[in-house]
Amino acid sequence: MSDDVVLRTRALTKQYGARLAVDALDLEIRRGRVYGFLGPNGAGKTTTIAMLLGLLAPSSGGMEILGHDAASEHATALRRTGAVLDGLGYFPHLTGRDNVRLWARLNGMRDAARIDAVIEIARLSGRADDKVRDYSLGMKQRLAVAVALLEDPELLILDEPTNGLDPAGIREFRQLIRQLAADGKTVFVSSHLLSEVQQMCDDVGIVKHGKLIAQGEVTTLVQSGTRLVVRATDPRALAVLKQQQWVAAATLEDDGTISVEAPADKASDISRVLAGEGIWLSELRAQDGSLEEFFLDVTGEETVGA
Amino acid sequence: MPDMIAAEIMKVRTRWLLYVLFLVGVAGAAAQVWLFGYVAWLTERNDSEFEYGISSRLTFSFPYSLSALLDTGQFWGALLVAVLTASMVATDHSWGTVRLALARGQTRNQYLTAKLLGIVAVSVVMMLAVFAIGVVFSLVATAVAGESITFDTRNGPSAAEVPLMVLRAAYAIVPYGMLAFCLTVVGRSTALGATGTLIYIIAESIVAPLLGALGSTGEAFQSLIIGYNASALIAANRSGLLEQNTLAFRESGPGADVPDVWVATLVLAAYSLIFLAISFQVFRTRDVRTTQE
Repeated sequence: MSDDVVLRTRALTKQYGARLAVDALDLEIRRGRVYGFLGPNGAGKTTTIAMLLGLLAPSSGGMEILGHDAASEHATALRRTGAVLDGLGYFPHLTGRDNVRLWARLNGMRDAARIDAVIEIARLSGRADDKVRDYSLGMKQRLAVAVALLEDPELLILDEPTNGLDPAGIREFRQLIRQLAADGKTVFVSSHLLSEVQQMCDDVGIVKHGKLIAQGEVTTLVQSGTRLVVRATDPRALAVLKQQQWVAAATLEDDGTISVEAPADKASDISRVLAGEGIWLSELRAQDGSLEEFFLDVTGEETVGA
Repeated sequence: MPDMIAAEIMKVRTRWLLYVLFLVGVAGAAAQVWLFGYVAWLTERNDSEFEYGISSRLTFSFPYSLSALLDTGQFWGALLVAVLTASMVATDHSWGTVRLALARGQTRNQYLTAKLLGIVAVSVVMMLAVFAIGVVFSLVATAVAGESITFDTRNGPSAAEVPLMVLRAAYAIVPYGMLAFCLTVVGRSTALGATGTLIYIIAESIVAPLLGALGSTGEAFQSLIIGYNASALIAANRSGLLEQNTLAFRESGPGADVPDVWVATLVLAAYSLIFLAISFQVFRTRDVRTTQE
């Protein structure tokens, strides 16, 4: 594994009977990057993360984490990895501080200053001595982040970490993730909040039915779905544009503009073609696509599921 | 590993269940010494039919009381340890903490070994504390009855024998604890581990005498029953003593039909190892899933 790649899967597969939950997944996550792992419900995200964390045994394929082959050195790799699992992972009868202390103790750590530091990072200082059973869902998520950061891990694997967080909490979490990446940590995060992923992540991978259907830098993927917005007073404009081979789709929007799905470098062609028909433009501009549009496009979903 | 065991103890020492089980044990010791011993003796001592209440006197009077306390302690202690074991194993599954423990780099062998040793440590402390309180009850009852408190008695255990007696009783609890451990690891449920062990204990106390009455084939099966072999160790604690009152529902008093104590020791060890092997094999190879996967 190149030093630049901290997590790699090779044809990672998980099969339950006849059902393929994860189908020959090839992921590559580079050091210091924030990688968003996206997919519709039941796409295999949680199953993939469970395999990365040694909770599920792959049916076939392999994984390398922080230079360690998971088949033989999974526990070694995981000791340098922090994890936030979707759902539970805390002791409700203990205080938040005792939870962090207990998880530290389990890994042989007794550094009280570090325990206080991660509680501070997770913004739990004010409630650290309350029982976790009295915490809100968002506080429990922050507690999970505090535990994940205990050993100052090189790689963070986070499964739906923003579940239950309020908008302010989500924004703070995004800032925390970006700060961790700036500190050289690598973050692998699954989420269904696409706008957050777009702002938080450098790279994304999208899975559907257990298969990786798209992977790349967020900026590249978003630009690949660039739309052009055209405004023309002549109603013939829509029909003319639809006739062009390089126009994937053209639709009349409620505000009277025509949304054209076409490569950005075709703007001058739009202007030329319409002028040739005697149609004059009052507006022509590029509209960046969103990750959500790209996601819905490649997954064929109508809505974004959790 | 010491840190992992300490963490296991930290998990359970802040839970009310441990203290409820401890109080149940103390209540059992109190019933054994005071109700089945001292109070029964007050009632029976002037009744010739009860031979001056000799069995009840031996139940509360120190040091005879030690064997009766260990007899009852082994029988009911097996249940208390089963409940504690099942809870300590299953709650990590219901809270999802087993997943995080493994995701944080504990190997499955480390996790289960630390869990097992944590259970052993907590169980030993809890049961020894209950036994010590039972001994205190016995000392008080002996003094109240106007008897002298001394190991210098006819047929009673000597001070040097007491550690071995405690070890025998504790050893006879181990296979039940392992059964609860195995059932809970496999089933990931407190109810399965605790009630499964309870049902087994009740079933064997019913079936063992029946098998003994069925001739040589029945006796062969009887010799494989955990409780039948545990009785041999408890009977060894009663060597030389007359009948005592006990809260344990099985034959272990004078004249009881029990196997050789060394054979019984090996049989109980075999059961413990089998339960342990099943637990580790299942846990090492299973998928640790959530409901979403």
